[in-house]
Amino acid sequence: MNILISNLPYLLKGAMITLALAGVIVTVGNLLGLLLGAVSALVGRLGQSLITLYIFVLRGIPVLVIMLLGYYMFPALGYRVPAYVAVATAHIVYVSAFVAEIVRSAINSVPTGQIAAARSLGMRRFGILREVLLPQATRIAIPPLLNNSLTAIKQTSYVSVVGVWELTYAAREVVERTLASFQIFLGVMAIYFLICYPLSLFARWCERRTTVIQ
Amino acid sequence: MDYLASVFAVWIRLYPSLMTGFAITVSLALAAVPLALAGGLVLLPLRMWSGRLVRALAGTYIEFMRNTPLLLQIYLIYFGLPLFGLFPSEFTCGVIGIALQHSAFLVEIYRGGIEAISQRQWEAARAIGMVRYTALRHIILPQAALRILGPIGNQLIILVKDTSLVSAIGVAELTMTGKVAIERLAATLEIFVAIGLLYLLLTSALGAGLRIIERRVSEWLG
Amino acid sequence: MAMIEVRGLRKSYAALEVLKDINFSVDKGEVVVVLGPSGSGKSTMLRCINLLEEFQGGEIRIDGEAIGYREDAHGVRHWCKERDNAKLREQVGMVFQSFNLFPHRTVLQNVMMGPLKVQRRARAEIEPIARELLGKVGLLDKADQYPARLSGGQQQRVGIARALAMQPKVMLFDEVTSALDPELVGEVLRVIRRLAQEGMTMIIVTHEIHFARDVADRIIFMDGGLIVEQDAPATLLSNPKSDRLKLFLRRYQGDYLAD
Repeated sequence: MNILISNLPYLLKGAMITLALAGVIVTVGNLLGLLLGAVSALVGRLGQSLITLYIFVLRGIPVLVIMLLGYYMFPALGYRVPAYVAVATAHIVYVSAFVAEIVRSAINSVPTGQIAAARSLGMRRFGILREVLLPQATRIAIPPLLNNSLTAIKQTSYVSVVGVWELTYAAREVVERTLASFQIFLGVMAIYFLICYPLSLFARWCERRTTVIQ
Repeated sequence: MDYLASVFAVWIRLYPSLMTGFAITVSLALAAVPLALAGGLVLLPLRMWSGRLVRALAGTYIEFMRNTPLLLQIYLIYFGLPLFGLFPSEFTCGVIGIALQHSAFLVEIYRGGIEAISQRQWEAARAIGMVRYTALRHIILPQAALRILGPIGNQLIILVKDTSLVSAIGVAELTMTGKVAIERLAATLEIFVAIGLLYLLLTSALGAGLRIIERRVSEWLG
Repeated sequence: MAMIEVRGLRKSYAALEVLKDINFSVDKGEVVVVLGPSGSGKSTMLRCINLLEEFQGGEIRIDGEAIGYREDAHGVRHWCKERDNAKLREQVGMVFQSFNLFPHRTVLQNVMMGPLKVQRRARAEIEPIARELLGKVGLLDKADQYPARLSGGQQQRVGIARALAMQPKVMLFDEVTSALDPELVGEVLRVIRRLAQEGMTMIIVTHEIHFARDVADRIIFMDGGLIVEQDAPATLLSNPKSDRLKLFLRRYQGDYLAD
């Protein structure tokens, strides 16, 4: 316990970086995904196929591989990009694919009667999307989006594998120094738990609120 | 033309190591999947049909596993077990870590499927004199099983992708193979395309296979 | 000795007392109809009789045996284990408002479910009995269909056959026609009347007052967790004594005609 406590300030700094990283990834990732999902309801067959391909490829490959791609790609193309930016970009792209799929499927699950009603009032595609589909799809999509963001937060730990410093990397440093693997790893897991569990409870609460009672 | 030739040249050179990596990825998955499915089944009665204390403990364990990164869980096992005098291989540590985390997700899927079966089915079963075990076996579980196949399938696909994490403790599965290759040759893009295609092959095949299973089971159960 | 005896039955959900002091008995072969407004506790009372609900006070006897709990040497009540209560439910059949058929089994399999899986009898022995029951409720031709393909009235008749397959001593009907379209109600009521004529002991909770007048040996009127009146149908329905019953009858027979 003591080793954990004495290293806590160092680890908490790592937690701050994790939170910042997670914040950026979740925000930008969700925005990008939302955009893609909404756009897919507007464009024709070609656009939809492209977006489907994007989603398929990104969801079928491990995030670690995508992150390695981001990490090694930029220098390979000749750009000097800070490591944080490279890995964050990779995670943002990965998250956006899942968000796009969630948004798309939520839009599709709005009852078609709604669209028929809107069209009979003279609404056109963009208006229907904005006034009818998105508001209702949002309610359906929020629980899965929250769960997805939760996963994204946990996945920030993977950036430690390519040497980017955050909580998990800090944990490994401390363990290598002190050899107190159990204490430190469990303690760091507890920190992640404290970050993630409230969000998970919130997601479940939202799910209860949006479930139709039979 | 030249470029394509060079791409293929890279792939041919890498072929042996890629195939080895792929085989190890598949082995990791084949080992972890049954353990995770079984682990979830073991946790289920603890979480649903035990005394209050056991249920609370199981619930806490499950929430903890679900809300902490898999990478840390693997590190804990790999670096922690030696303190107890156990020295399992990296492969084993990876399999255990993956199985433990995913069994926590799976037990919640099992539970959700069972709880989604309306209370009225329980009442109808009890009204003809069934005890809980009989009702579960003949009425509740058959109906739940069909509904949870989809979510279980999704979870297993995630599991297969999570095998890539084991590269962090040095297992030479597909991702690690790719990383090593990039550092040796400089053909970043070609290698990534190869790795990506192999993973896509794996996850798509798994997805298609699961859909077939889903269809068969729904026919069989009526 | 009466087939069903209820003495001093009391039940609460947390702070809310839903059954306050219920006393009545049902003889073998008698048909008792329970009427009452929503929230009067009639369904709850029915569900206490087959132990789907626990009760806190009073006693219920089926064919002379007290059910639901055991008293120890100090007179302290312990609710029986599920195993014992399940045994009781083999003798008390229940038909539900929402039918509750097993959707993953055919009609015939639904009817055979109890005898096969609970009583553990051989399929060769049960199948003819099950088919006979389906014939009796008029659905033999639907034996191999799944419940989803049947109308509400048909599903409910399967529900009755399923309960009868256990050869119960008593049948309980919990508002079995309330969820049906009006034109399907008749087919179900006909089956119930036939059962009554054959001498089955029954407690029927319903809104169908005409049916009650036709079939019941006795009507019990409940309100607010208590039995307000009980009497033969002819007497009770033409000469209601209590104001509450008068109000109830006026509402139900007046439909939406203004008061």
